Amino acid sequence: MSNLSRRTLLFAAAGSALAACAGPGGDADEKTVTGFDGPVEGQLSFAHWRAEDKDVLEQIVASFVQKNPKVTVRQDISPSNDYQSTALQKIRGGSVGDAFTAFRGAQFTQIASVGVFADLSTQSDLVGKFDPKLIAAGTSESKQLGLPYQLVFNMPVTNVDLLAKYGYTDLPKDWDGFLGMLDGLKAKDVTPIAWPGGDAANAGQLLNTMVMNNIPSDDALGKFETGEVKATDEWFVHTLKQYAQLRPYVQSGANGTGSEAAQQLFATQKAALLATGSFMAGAVRKLGAKFPLGLYAPITTTADKAKYEGVFNATFILGINAKSSKQGAALAWLKHLADPAVAGVYANGTSQHVTVKDVEYTNEDLKSFAPWLTRKTLLAPRFQFNNLDVRSAVENATVQVVGGTDPAKAAEAAQRVIDQKR
Amino acid sequence: MRFSKSLLLFPVPALALYGTFFVLPAVQGLQYSTTDWDGFSPSFHNVGLDNFREVATADDLFRNALGNNLKFLLAVVIGQTVLALFLAVLLAARSRGSTWLRGLFFLPTILSSVSVAFVWRFVYDPNFGLANRLTGLHESYLGDEKKAIFFVAITQIWFHAGQMMIIYLAGINQIPPELYEAARTDGANRWQQFRHITWPLVAPATTLVVAYTTIQSFKAFDLILGLGGNPPRGALDILSTRIYTTFANNQLGYAAAESVVFMLAIAAVTVAQNRATRLAHR
Amino acid sequence: MRIGRRALLGFYALIVIVPLLVVVGGSVKTTQQLFASPFGLPTHPTLDNYDTVLRQQNLLRVLGNSITVVAVSVPATLILASLTAYAAARLPGWWGHAVFGIFAAGLAVPAQAMMIPQYVQFDRLGLRDSLTGLMLINVVVTLPVAVFILTGFMRTLPRELYEAAELDGAGAWTMFRKVAVPLSYPSLAATSIFLVVMHWNDLLYPLLFIDDPAKRTLPLALLDFQGEYLTDYPLLFTGVVVASVPMVLAYAFLQRHFVAGITAGSIKG
Repeated sequence: MSNLSRRTLLFAAAGSALAACAGPGGDADEKTVTGFDGPVEGQLSFAHWRAEDKDVLEQIVASFVQKNPKVTVRQDISPSNDYQSTALQKIRGGSVGDAFTAFRGAQFTQIASVGVFADLSTQSDLVGKFDPKLIAAGTSESKQLGLPYQLVFNMPVTNVDLLAKYGYTDLPKDWDGFLGMLDGLKAKDVTPIAWPGGDAANAGQLLNTMVMNNIPSDDALGKFETGEVKATDEWFVHTLKQYAQLRPYVQSGANGTGSEAAQQLFATQKAALLATGSFMAGAVRKLGAKFPLGLYAPITTTADKAKYEGVFNATFILGINAKSSKQGAALAWLKHLADPAVAGVYANGTSQHVTVKDVEYTNEDLKSFAPWLTRKTLLAPRFQFNNLDVRSAVENATVQVVGGTDPAKAAEAAQRVIDQKR
Repeated sequence: MRFSKSLLLFPVPALALYGTFFVLPAVQGLQYSTTDWDGFSPSFHNVGLDNFREVATADDLFRNALGNNLKFLLAVVIGQTVLALFLAVLLAARSRGSTWLRGLFFLPTILSSVSVAFVWRFVYDPNFGLANRLTGLHESYLGDEKKAIFFVAITQIWFHAGQMMIIYLAGINQIPPELYEAARTDGANRWQQFRHITWPLVAPATTLVVAYTTIQSFKAFDLILGLGGNPPRGALDILSTRIYTTFANNQLGYAAAESVVFMLAIAAVTVAQNRATRLAHR
Repeated sequence: MRIGRRALLGFYALIVIVPLLVVVGGSVKTTQQLFASPFGLPTHPTLDNYDTVLRQQNLLRVLGNSITVVAVSVPATLILASLTAYAAARLPGWWGHAVFGIFAAGLAVPAQAMMIPQYVQFDRLGLRDSLTGLMLINVVVTLPVAVFILTGFMRTLPRELYEAAELDGAGAWTMFRKVAVPLSYPSLAATSIFLVVMHWNDLLYPLLFIDDPAKRTLPLALLDFQGEYLTDYPLLFTGVVVASVPMVLAYAFLQRHFVAGITAGSIKG
């Protein structure tokens, strides 16, 4: 190739590159979309954040592939905090997430607003498999865009044996009683609460139960973003002061502790409570814990003022990518997951309840958590946040207070960020 | 002036790529920074200098990241430079042992930041980690609001001190041995030899080390994400991670404005440091 | 004094090496063993973690991606940069300074200032979620530092050599091939090692560009690991060992070139 023609080629390449960077805006390329009637074949990407469930989902994939031999399913897993912040970008690109999951709250709203969810409203044989009361979190403007799959309890997990050993079988129903129990456990050299303060995604779970009886209305956390509620409001500062009271009862260095270390403390019976949620039961079992697990939420008020006993969440919202060219296969995959027998495999294998009807729970942990399905529980308020900067500001305030920051100061700093970012 | 014209063709391929994928995006960054584009909508608004006004006056998160970055920078520049010079002075004499140790101290530099971050996450774990076990302390390290960024600085120093040591060694080896002999004849002790011979004569090396360390400190992105998670908590947030978080939050226009301010910050610090280094060696 | 010096050096040597040994040891332990006794020798060493990492996690594929990217992007950068450096060193007057200056200016621009437009640009060209795109961006972002190092060296080559070649009737291209490149061998080797380490360890662009897990490079796969094996330090450590072994082995054999290369490239950070 002569110098000249090589140069011409380079300039041609540079020219087309220049044309492609005209500036912001405009995203013209539309892929051909076959819709739900498309063939059940090809490689399907299922994007989610539950690495703990990978093996169980592989089993479910195997049974799905057996029924549909032309399909393969690849699990694309990201850590939950990464998933929270980057999933939309990736799913929108189309190479990942023909079928995908979304967190209830901010992420669902955002994905819905850019039209990446294919509308499932007309798929009655799929939607009908779910308990209608539990899938409201997957609707937007009266369309069923997604189907929450997991039913989890975002409240501390307890080591039932360890608590019973020190006489705690009937767990306290008010704040003073709760602090008394923590004090009693500490006197026996047990770490009362293992709390992963260094892991933002899980540190914030405790907020659910800490505010459930303090909030002026059930939807109060969502109102931080409209300005109707402020971090400096009396009830929130009061909650932060209660966080401050927990300082002596969490493991040492709580704010630098990741989830893995908190789970390890709990699994080895060094800590009595694991302040995250029922979704960690499977991981704790994997670490070799043999003792029975329970659930318990701190009651932040006196017994007569307590409206709720615990917190639940319907999440892991299954959806189909509107930009995917494999919607037929994705729909078949969702239908497979919604089959009561398959949902049972998932539930019992991962120690999580599901929103699918007529599932038989055989897993011991699920059986011991089952009474909570009918108790007075609040839909997890933490997921009312739609703006991640606002959520981080509120949750960071709680972490900072446990780390020693003055509650009033933490509240003020949080409110400043909220005012700037909402 | 006579030269072969075909020489002008040599840089053309590199210039074409560099112009298209480096210079052009850098300039476009300026254009993006005046918009409110979210990264995927077909439409956006020109907001003039509003993004910059907000970054400068009404963004505690950005200010926090800037503050952390400056603390980190200061700790690494001082700690790493002192350690590197100290190691270089101790290892200046050639021997089998010193060659071996130079090789060892340099080793962390070739690891990936993510690997280094994982190693140190385990070092810093308050309940099971190496640091508390070996020292008998009860620190929470990365969980300590005020000190967390300095613990990241320690990791960064562990990571790159060996590399800076090599630069100092090159500087020290250029000092004529006669100078030390003369000083010893005059009865100068080791500190005096260091103070009056080594220190002034390694000035060029210090300038290099400080400049390199500054750039590295602004670039600690990978290390922070590995140690602090994505996105990192406020106490660990630095400018590069803040920009990435804004970008991941679908605020491309605003993130571009943050990048421009970031670049200005680097330029300002570099200028200030050049002066400071010159003063210190006077 | 001598004892003090030895003690200090020995102490720092321990600080460098102990965490690394714990990682290597941890990779053949179970989680319980690691938490119970991180410094102890593994009582029942197991290679299960390596099996998980290499087979189930498909780290071999990831390793292959990293090797492919480096194998293309490093030679490409070297060729482009040495052509440019040769011109910058040989062009008289402001021509040479202009070529050098244009690239050197790029050293002051942090990746974060360009990454957003680059993301959009590569997305529109269909180069974003691909290894080709990753190679291209690696070449582009390291051109400034490579040109900087190589120009510095080529300027030190004595003019007389070129003049002698010119008398023999050699053109610019022949002189580049027959004079400049062979004489620049040490700096080319140093630069290439610096580039290998840079491209091998880069996280920002893979994080930004790559969605498809089958196209991940090592640092990105490691970062994802952290989330996937939240509870499993031994697996994490196994990943660290697998990702580091190629570099450490190369370092053991080519130590002098590594030191020269990375030090020359320090300017890039």
